[in-house]
Amino acid sequence: MGPLGAAPRPPAATWDLAGRVVANGPVSQGLRVLDVELPRAIDFLPGQFAMLNLTGPARLVFRRPFSILATAGRTISFLYRAIGRGTSLMAGLAPGAAVECLAPLGQPFPAPAAATPPVLILAGGVGLPPLYAWFARYRRPADLACFGGRDLDDVPWDLVPPPWQVSVDRLDGAAARSVFHGLVTELALACVGEPGDATPRLVLACGPTPLLRAAARLARERGWPCRVSLEEHMGCGYGVCKGCVVPVRDPGPPGWRHATSCTEGPVFDAALIDWDRFGHAAAGGPA
Amino acid sequence: MNRPGWWRLDPCAPFALGPRTLPGRIWTASGCFGYGLHGHDIAAPDLATPYEGIGAVVTKTVTPQPRPGNPMPRLVELPFGAINSIGLENVGFAAFLRDVLPELEARGVPNVVSLAATRPAEFGTMAARLYEVGRGLRHWHGVELNLSCPNVAEGGHDFGSDPATVAACVAAARPHLPDRILVAKLTPNVAQIAPLAAAAAQAGCDAVAAINTVVGLDVDTASGRPVLPRRFGGYSGLAIQPIALAKVDEIVREVGVPVVGVGGIVDARDALKFFALGCVAVQVGTAQMRDPFAAARLAAELRR
Repeated sequence: MGPLGAAPRPPAATWDLAGRVVANGPVSQGLRVLDVELPRAIDFLPGQFAMLNLTGPARLVFRRPFSILATAGRTISFLYRAIGRGTSLMAGLAPGAAVECLAPLGQPFPAPAAATPPVLILAGGVGLPPLYAWFARYRRPADLACFGGRDLDDVPWDLVPPPWQVSVDRLDGAAARSVFHGLVTELALACVGEPGDATPRLVLACGPTPLLRAAARLARERGWPCRVSLEEHMGCGYGVCKGCVVPVRDPGPPGWRHATSCTEGPVFDAALIDWDRFGHAAAGGPA
Repeated sequence: MNRPGWWRLDPCAPFALGPRTLPGRIWTASGCFGYGLHGHDIAAPDLATPYEGIGAVVTKTVTPQPRPGNPMPRLVELPFGAINSIGLENVGFAAFLRDVLPELEARGVPNVVSLAATRPAEFGTMAARLYEVGRGLRHWHGVELNLSCPNVAEGGHDFGSDPATVAACVAAARPHLPDRILVAKLTPNVAQIAPLAAAAAQAGCDAVAAINTVVGLDVDTASGRPVLPRRFGGYSGLAIQPIALAKVDEIVREVGVPVVGVGGIVDARDALKFFALGCVAVQVGTAQMRDPFAAARLAAELRR
């Protein structure tokens, strides 16, 4: 066991299960929670995900990856925002609807060991689930969790009660709640203090790419370890299609390689990501 | 699904193909089930493993040197299929022989190794080396030639669209595989596929696999640009099934070489269409990416 905790190792086999929707509704203006009852309970580690699909004529060519928010008995929960075709169809699922669920998948965030420094969590929007799960399971007194939403209506308040700190990008009118106006990374900086006197921390981040880049930069500048969960589009979710690769540094020539996000990630050591190549699909592509 | 009266095969019974007996007729298509090692940790209530009833896993294509593959995005999902531009990402031939092939044997995964090269002669070199390493293996059944990549020696045109080049590739590999099957996977991106199948048969292949992906392109209307960085990709999934069936029919009626059907096979009914036209085996492709148990469930349904 290293200083950052147990080596990532999923506790159980992955199960391909036919589930039923038990609840599906909004937890904020933009975010929704889907609860699915499975034929058996699933053991998962925070950061692991599931591949979901609809059934019948609405069945999608590929399942969609969703980080696991929580489980309770045979019920598994997901947080999502209806933005694409898959999530929009998902938003229309009524209780009783059938859902295909392949879970758990992927590498989790590290579990804390005695030598693990206090964590600094940065969660942005729909990137909340793996870090909600981490904080719910492992939270220690010195750990610090920050969530960033678009505005007050976008924040799923029931999921981020104190001691979660909350920031919003837009703050219109009189703030009825105590929130930080700005980016979640700015909130985090305000919380941890100046570089000289700040306690070393393990940074855990999930959210939009700019948030991940900022979290990785913050950690790098202070010499802190950092793990990020990447939200790549996926085809299969179980390692076979190679449709979700990310560039990572590699000791051999040419100095980098493609890592398969669904099996080697989605949680990566931020220092291993080749951030210069990350997200620049057009390099070598179309004019 | 009720099995039709004409259906009498047990798709999970051993059958002879060329010099070899294969364990079954339901295979997974190249590139759609990795190297065949990703299914061991996955379980389902109705099937213990995704390998149940599978006659062969055709591995992800292996090239002489490792390839990092293409930049993201690599997949475009469409209503009834997907366009991929993975770029033959693979560990390379040496690492495959060292790390993957022994693992497939140890885990008892029946397999056919998909090979791609940049010159016809390289198929011979790779087949010879593969046989040297694999001749004693029980679960390695043979080679599928992926002929849908640029032929460096011929100015970068696809190997697969010229009958003489297809014949050269098959002829290069054939002598090195005395007791293993040799399958040529054919491209549908030609007006007539029968001449390709005939060339492959005359050069000594045991079967042809039809079809590889159909050339496709999708446009992002917001940017006005092709979605894939390399513009074109390979279209697969249910949408290409009628194309596959037409090409298979052309081969069966005009050439007579054994055909392994592939292209848009999702469930048992789809597979039956290919068997009805005379295919000796079928491969499950894109559906296997969505569902690790796709081929196993299809096999279970057909043997009931």
